[in-house]
Amino acid sequence: MENILPEPLTKELRDRLRGVVGDAWVIVDADRLLAYESDGLTAYRRTPRAVVLPRNTDEVSRVLGILSQEAVPVVPRGAGTGLSGGALADGDAVVVGTARMTDLLELDPENRLARVQPGMINAHLTTAAEPFGLYYAPDPSSQSACTLGGNVAENSGGPHCLKYGVTSRYVTGLKVVTYDGKVVDLGGFGREPGGYDLVGVFVGSEGCFGIATEIEVRLLPKSEAVCTLLAIFDRLGDAGSAVTEIMAEGLMPAALEIIDGPTIRAVEASVFAAGFPTDAEAALVVEFDGIEAGLAADVERAVACCREAGAREVRTADSTEERLAFWQGRKKAFGAMGQIASDLLVQDATVPRSQLTGVLGRISEIGARHDLTIANVFHAGDGNLHPNLLFDRSDAEELARVERASKEIMAVCVEAGGTITGEHGVGLDKRHYMSLVHGPEELDAMRRIKAVFDPHGRMNPGKVLPDPPESAGVAV
Amino acid sequence: MNPLAGLLSERLSKAQVVDGFETEPWAVCGRLPQAVVFPESEAQVAEILSLSSEEGWRCVPAGRGSWLHGGQPPQAVDVLLSAKRMSDISEYEPADMFISAQAGAGLDALERRTNEEGQWLAVDPPGGERGTLGAMLAVGTAGPLQAGFGSPRDQVLGATIVSGDGQVLNLGGKVVKNVAGFDLLKLVAGSWGTLGMITSVTMRLYPVPATDRTLLFKESEAADGANLACRLAQTPFPLAAVELLVPGDGESGGGAPSPLVAVRILESTDAVDEAERVVSECAGMPPVQRLGGEQSAAIFDNVRAMEDGAELVLRLSLLPTRLPELIETTSQLRGLYDPSEGWGMRLAGHAQTGVLRVMIAVVGRSDDWVDRAKTTLGVLRRSLEAEGGSLVVSQGPPEIVGAVSAWGALGPAALFTSGIQAALDPAGILNRGTSPQ
Repeated sequence: MENILPEPLTKELRDRLRGVVGDAWVIVDADRLLAYESDGLTAYRRTPRAVVLPRNTDEVSRVLGILSQEAVPVVPRGAGTGLSGGALADGDAVVVGTARMTDLLELDPENRLARVQPGMINAHLTTAAEPFGLYYAPDPSSQSACTLGGNVAENSGGPHCLKYGVTSRYVTGLKVVTYDGKVVDLGGFGREPGGYDLVGVFVGSEGCFGIATEIEVRLLPKSEAVCTLLAIFDRLGDAGSAVTEIMAEGLMPAALEIIDGPTIRAVEASVFAAGFPTDAEAALVVEFDGIEAGLAADVERAVACCREAGAREVRTADSTEERLAFWQGRKKAFGAMGQIASDLLVQDATVPRSQLTGVLGRISEIGARHDLTIANVFHAGDGNLHPNLLFDRSDAEELARVERASKEIMAVCVEAGGTITGEHGVGLDKRHYMSLVHGPEELDAMRRIKAVFDPHGRMNPGKVLPDPPESAGVAV
Repeated sequence: MNPLAGLLSERLSKAQVVDGFETEPWAVCGRLPQAVVFPESEAQVAEILSLSSEEGWRCVPAGRGSWLHGGQPPQAVDVLLSAKRMSDISEYEPADMFISAQAGAGLDALERRTNEEGQWLAVDPPGGERGTLGAMLAVGTAGPLQAGFGSPRDQVLGATIVSGDGQVLNLGGKVVKNVAGFDLLKLVAGSWGTLGMITSVTMRLYPVPATDRTLLFKESEAADGANLACRLAQTPFPLAAVELLVPGDGESGGGAPSPLVAVRILESTDAVDEAERVVSECAGMPPVQRLGGEQSAAIFDNVRAMEDGAELVLRLSLLPTRLPELIETTSQLRGLYDPSEGWGMRLAGHAQTGVLRVMIAVVGRSDDWVDRAKTTLGVLRRSLEAEGGSLVVSQGPPEIVGAVSAWGALGPAALFTSGIQAALDPAGILNRGTSPQ
């Protein structure tokens, strides 16, 4: 996408915003704005008109009040680790970032609750809860950088969602600011007054409904014990069968992750080398957690499933170091791929688990047909695929092939009974795929609900929903 | 047939519409519908709702009718739509651990079918297994298993609804991780049929745990029971449910009712043994009873059935550690009933989520009974709301629910609530439990 420089803010508007947040926190210099021109999906770049960094709910409310009076569109932004272009400031939008809203507002260990500001980093919450034997369950791979506000916007997942569920299961209450600056409290633990689940519909709304300025989440007690095993396969399909076997056994692993051959070789060639055999075609990481007394038996049954499915080698982690090494191969996969190709498109889609093997075969066929390297790392337990398409951005023809292959992969996943995104969100990237999974009636219902929260359509415009049919073909 | 029923039977068939005395089992909070229809497909539901939107007929969606006495009374009921004849299991792939069925499928039938494959629906809403899948989602109430598995809204993967204006909307899907667009499915859970009629539902399933065990601990006073339940809820072990049970005045053979704390553990056998040891240590006493397998499930079936035969059911809530205070507040309700009538007042508290269910067998009906209930419940609701909690009247005599409102205060969020309703039911025909005040 071409990066057109936007029109700067008027001095008057700039001064009013500075009056609220302080001079240092309204960014308008072209070179400093560069840091905000894209998010984790680097294929799209767009420089915002300005970036405003408020400190608390009151400042967010006043900033939005000013911007809405001037009809300036607003794009909320956390750490900018999103992978769907959702934090990109399209058109004449101003970014409102949560980088200074990082406080832990309350930790209530007895009720296993925390209240945080949206800019708090996901992993920092677990660090704060640890002395009380608690942790925050959703663990996106970017958890050391991504913010809880971003997690709320995207309804983020992570490897351990197989057993524990995604972000929406943990968010119990929100304080949100709407585009016109109104502050509204939604939900709250220990409270069920009736009415619609507004917290539930706000989570995953990708910044299109408003900005969450306080987030109340449930924490979980840390498991007494964790046991991780690594199984190596000569065929990717066999790893998929092992996953089916494990689930059919009635086991409930905390995580079931597959790393395919091309990814293993990328990881092993990088500084993140985890000691996986480079001639393997799949590595399966299976983790169990819970009460120590029951774990060994579960692990044994899972090992048997892997062997039956044709694993050539199964290792069990005997120490924390070994366990972390198994995870290294999984969690650093994206970083490692950055070392073998200049650009990487991390795709994201979900299919019913039983369709995994067939869909992976078709993805590999799509890659071959478009002459692209596709490396897969994915949450096999819940059918959440991440095909990674490697390319070089400066090669326009290759980029076009990446786009065609992406669209074909989405269609294959939808055809298999799945969906176009499992945890990265629609953002800017996938709004044109929305009609693959939703009919005009559903898209229209989503538009109507969006209008309830944002009647003027100026909160994160141009995201999630495709343009309505009547304006098709008209430039936005 | 009355004219309205006549018009409907022209659209469907005569065998699908009843009126007159046949509508009596379908009274909604005491209000008789003019006609009850039994659509057999999504298309028929869409036809009835769009016709009703045009004609301004007020509609109430239902399943088998188990919840018609609950929630906020509608202003009027012209047409009641029952999903009874839409009860097929449409897709069940055990390897994918989900089941899709039409909204009128009974929870009992789904339980039987999934158990055959070693799986189960980990939901235990009040009312037992006699309800339908659609009603479970529409009411959205969670039972004791909420702490271990989440509420129905956490376990629903997808649903098809026909919105008030007759649009068929497929929401969610068949997979756990799905963020393709705004999550309108969340709005359906607990919407009491005010956004549309649910026609099919896809639920997540779990493997049946190797061991199901319930430990029962006994205390002599309700307050001690509440303290014990709170302590046990804080055990750092994965407990499926911790429930405080205070029997009714008439169920204790004369003396003060002795509370029980029921701790349910669903894990592998070794893990359950270990959890039992830790829980007993934390309780500072051995359990008075250990129930395994079917008996363990049976006691929680009884917990689900505790509202049966109750005239008034309240759900009070505060943060979980304040369960003892919630128990204390129930003394304010003594004036609403005569303890010698029926079993009096029963209490059941979910210690991990801070919800206390209060069940009163027979509401006293002296001269000013409605006013008295209005004052008592109003005062209690305001004091709980001031503390960040809530009071919901789940079911009660229509006079009382009408006077105090089923739902509590929503504050500024009410703006969104009415907007959402208008978005999916523009003609305002789905008026049951409309916009909590």
